[in-house]
Amino acid sequence: MELSLDRLTKHYGNKIAVDHVSADLKPGVYGLLGANGAGKTTLMRMLCAILESTSGEVLLDGEEITAMGAAYRDLLGYLPQDFGYYPNYTSEEFLRYIAALKGIPRHQAGKKAKELLEMMGLAHAAKKKLKAFSGGMKQRVGIAQALLNNPKILILDEPTAGLDPKERVRFRNLISDYAENRIVILSTHIVSDIEAITDQVFLMKKGKFILQGTIPELTLHAQDKVWELVVPQNESRRWQDTATVANLRHEGPQVVLRIISDTKPSEAAVPCCATLEDLYLYYFGDKETSSAI
Amino acid sequence: MELIRLEHKKLWCRNSTKISVLLCFIYVVLIGTVLSFQWFTYGSSNDHTSSFGNNFDGYSMIKDSQEYSRTFGGKLTDETLQQMVTDYQDMAVANLDREIQLIDRPIIDSWLEQLYPELKDTNTYNTMITYAVPDKLTGFYERRTQALEDFLEINDQTGAEREYLLQMEEKVEKPFSYEFREGWSNLLASMIAELGTVMALFLAIVLSPLFSGEWRDNTSPLLLTTRYGWDKIARAKIITGLLFTTELFLLLSTGILLSQSFYLGWSGWDMPIQMVKLIAVAPMNMLQAEIYEYAFTFLGALGYTCIILLISSAVKNNMFALIFSLMAVYLPPMIAQYLPFSLQKALDLLPLVGSPTDIFRTNTFCFFGRYIWSPYLLIAVPVLIGLLCTPFTVRRWSRKLKK
Repeated sequence: MELSLDRLTKHYGNKIAVDHVSADLKPGVYGLLGANGAGKTTLMRMLCAILESTSGEVLLDGEEITAMGAAYRDLLGYLPQDFGYYPNYTSEEFLRYIAALKGIPRHQAGKKAKELLEMMGLAHAAKKKLKAFSGGMKQRVGIAQALLNNPKILILDEPTAGLDPKERVRFRNLISDYAENRIVILSTHIVSDIEAITDQVFLMKKGKFILQGTIPELTLHAQDKVWELVVPQNESRRWQDTATVANLRHEGPQVVLRIISDTKPSEAAVPCCATLEDLYLYYFGDKETSSAI
Repeated sequence: MELIRLEHKKLWCRNSTKISVLLCFIYVVLIGTVLSFQWFTYGSSNDHTSSFGNNFDGYSMIKDSQEYSRTFGGKLTDETLQQMVTDYQDMAVANLDREIQLIDRPIIDSWLEQLYPELKDTNTYNTMITYAVPDKLTGFYERRTQALEDFLEINDQTGAEREYLLQMEEKVEKPFSYEFREGWSNLLASMIAELGTVMALFLAIVLSPLFSGEWRDNTSPLLLTTRYGWDKIARAKIITGLLFTTELFLLLSTGILLSQSFYLGWSGWDMPIQMVKLIAVAPMNMLQAEIYEYAFTFLGALGYTCIILLISSAVKNNMFALIFSLMAVYLPPMIAQYLPFSLQKALDLLPLVGSPTDIFRTNTFCFFGRYIWSPYLLIAVPVLIGLLCTPFTVRRWSRKLKK
């Protein structure tokens, strides 16, 4: 199974949301990383065939997904950003409703809904109305509905938003188990989630993939750009105002700064190993670095 | 089937649905029917200044009125008309306040005004029943025929159209059978006739968010990525809408029918509808008219449901869906008065825009020189309009997100 994005483009009037994006996705977990407005959600909607591209196409094993219609949607599981629900439905009723939409027979739907609620730690709340759910619980129902039809292609837009650390760990383990022989694409702002489960990462900025590769490959791009600098407390503010500070740690009267910079920010700065978060800040930090696109 | 069941359940889960149905039931059945029978319309009156001053004795007043009407032998002739007027005048002299209210006074007055204009005393504000000389009330049916022909003449309904209407009229059996007709008149000209107008309001409130609400709830991206989220769900929503309309109609009509059975009973069902409007031409009795009015309301409501759903699928905002849905049924009557008569009649063909009381009128439509009595079209066209809307509704829904 191969999902191919071929020069996929989406314009909203004069604004370019997605700009000639191309990629070939084989089974595995793919992470989409980018700032707000980078085009991640637009791209995901086009991958779900619910948004027409301005140009370019998405092919599944060589066949255009919009032409595949229901056959493609049969393979798809999708969790939209700002997942919508019916407040007066219970979680079980909601899953049964989505199951019916996915064409799952009634007797199987009930079993599957129970199984997924159990898996998401929501079995105790199966008969509770969704309006009484916390944000994290609703998000877990959202993930459950995406998994109802055992999709071959799973697209999750900000799946870990609203989840507490324990739930996030549960989710990461679930996706890692699930991803075998399936294509999982997820976008998140939480870099550690991407680091924990994705095989490949796409870094998206202004509608373009500016980088793509495995995490070790990507972090190479930030190598020699991450520095650690120890400064007196009274200088800390000046550094935060003038440089991209990835981390700040107090050690007695001094402050240890982790700075992202193309050049050595100070004679006293020492280079250190880059992480995905450093890479993210290198490209999306609010202080523009010289080589960032 | 499962999808329809769940969609239907989803609709009924909404508080707005439950509240709307409850309010609609209270307004139509409890206030519009039960209280009307027991209090506003049929309760005996002490002061005649306001319906709210009536006594809470509608049931006994109706039963007594029915019994009184039966004393006239079941047929309306010159003699029975004269007897009714005589009775009224005698009761008025004897100050029998309660008994006088048992007489079908409004319709007798309207007959006298329409058929015996030469007897009208222009020097008094009293109604004709109070002073008309009973012996002069003769030739009721001949005068009625003349009144009908004059009406058609004034209405410019001549030639083939006139012949068509008079042929219908010939089938009306005479003399008319007569029983207490006020109850039937109120039922046919008001209670059932206005049922569609009231239903339209609540149908719009409940059904207009059926598609557009998926955008407000932000569930549309979820639905549209499922196997059946494009077409089957749209069809399930349409069936759900039609089911809801049927349920609401059954609830309200059952309420009205039960009230009718309790208060009026079914006696007088075979009276001709001419007892409601004297110059009506249709050879129908009260029961047939009642069935027609229910059918008109039900089929119109189904057609209107399809229009609401088309609007709902075409807009993403619940408020716009509601406003446009209400406009579809309430705007045409507002603008009709500014349009030529032919266009007014055409607007009446829109679901729930026309009135089932056209069975009492002489309106016709002319197609290629052939005349069709308007009630036939008023009952058929709204359903056709509804059927025409459904494929567009499915298409609008599935195409909405892709833009």
